[in-house]
Amino acid sequence: MNDNDTLAAVRDSLTTAKGSLAGVHMNTPAEAIAREGRARRRRHTLTCLGGATAAAAGAALAITALAVPGHPASQSGSPARHPGTARLAAWTVTKQVDGDITVTVRQLSDPSGLQSTLRADGVPASVTPVASPDPSCRPYPMTQALFTSVYQADKATGAGTTVLTINPSALPSGAGVWLGAAFGRQAADRGLHRAAVHQTINHAVHQPVHQVAPGADNGVLRVGLVSVSEQCTGS
Amino acid sequence: MTRVRGMEPEPAEFAEFYEATRDDCLRIVLLNVGDRHLAHDLVAEAYTRAWMSWRKVRELEVPRAWVVRTALNAHVSWWRRRRREVSLGDHDAAASGDQATLVSGDLLAALRRLPPRQREVVTLRLLLDLDTETTARVLGIAPGTVGAHLHKAVATLRTEILRPDSQEISR
Repeated sequence: MNDNDTLAAVRDSLTTAKGSLAGVHMNTPAEAIAREGRARRRRHTLTCLGGATAAAAGAALAITALAVPGHPASQSGSPARHPGTARLAAWTVTKQVDGDITVTVRQLSDPSGLQSTLRADGVPASVTPVASPDPSCRPYPMTQALFTSVYQADKATGAGTTVLTINPSALPSGAGVWLGAAFGRQAADRGLHRAAVHQTINHAVHQPVHQVAPGADNGVLRVGLVSVSEQCTGS
Repeated sequence: MTRVRGMEPEPAEFAEFYEATRDDCLRIVLLNVGDRHLAHDLVAEAYTRAWMSWRKVRELEVPRAWVVRTALNAHVSWWRRRRREVSLGDHDAAASGDQATLVSGDLLAALRRLPPRQREVVTLRLLLDLDTETTARVLGIAPGTVGAHLHKAVATLRTEILRPDSQEISR
């Protein structure tokens, strides 16, 4: 038996063995695969975000990123599921039927407007630029478990859009949300190294970093918890 | 909770790929590992990773080869734990009536004893029926190296084929 004969014989034997398994089927539905992939992606995103927290500082957590200034509001990124949906150019806040608050961020601007909208939906909230936090706010102790129960972040359809879901019912008594807008240089100034910013964005968004503006650094949206007070969170 | 998500595979495209390749990939992995439940877990794991990296996987020359390689290299993780922890749907209930473990013949036992690279080459060349050049590109090695690995592997497997009492496979 020469090499070719041997190869043919082995191939035939393996093919026969495979053929004998004709009754063996992979019966897991495609949707089950997609569901697990989707769940892993969400967990992966949150893990990355949690890791960024430890590297950054305090109770604040860095999450992903931003769009190009002037990017028009994407209607497809803000589905009208609720009559209370507010549509704005930079971000959209939607109150879900289960009480969750979905914040679709396309551009970090008008933080006071976002803060007012969140408060109007019953979320004690402080929204500020990272570089100029509200001095009346006090950080609320954050843990990874608490973070993942309050916040979920997803990359939304459409370039440069981030969806943050807030679960107000998971907020401990006396805690409110804090959202902070930071651009790359500001983030670095706050101790979040530029490389960490890039890593966070890349891991969480799974696509190249967006330029906030020509020549500018990249933006990140940071989230955390603060102690509620009239001055800080409005309630 | 409903939210908009990005970067997901096109559902119909991934589902089409999955439907077209899943049984073949499962059988090939099963031949390599010999245990039906393990093979199922490994293949499910590989397809889950393919879903997560679909933009990359769909551009590969032979996506199903990526699935098989990933399955053979994967550690059993979520899918296996999940089966232990919760009762599954009808699809797994149907499988439970079958034998969990294949009692393989000497040829398959020899296949499983091959060094990993030789086993990969045999799997791609003989079970997935890729040619030498494609196998080389998939594995990132030279075509000549594919030939060398295949030659060694076949020489090993040959002895099992020539044994008169060799049993191919039984279930």
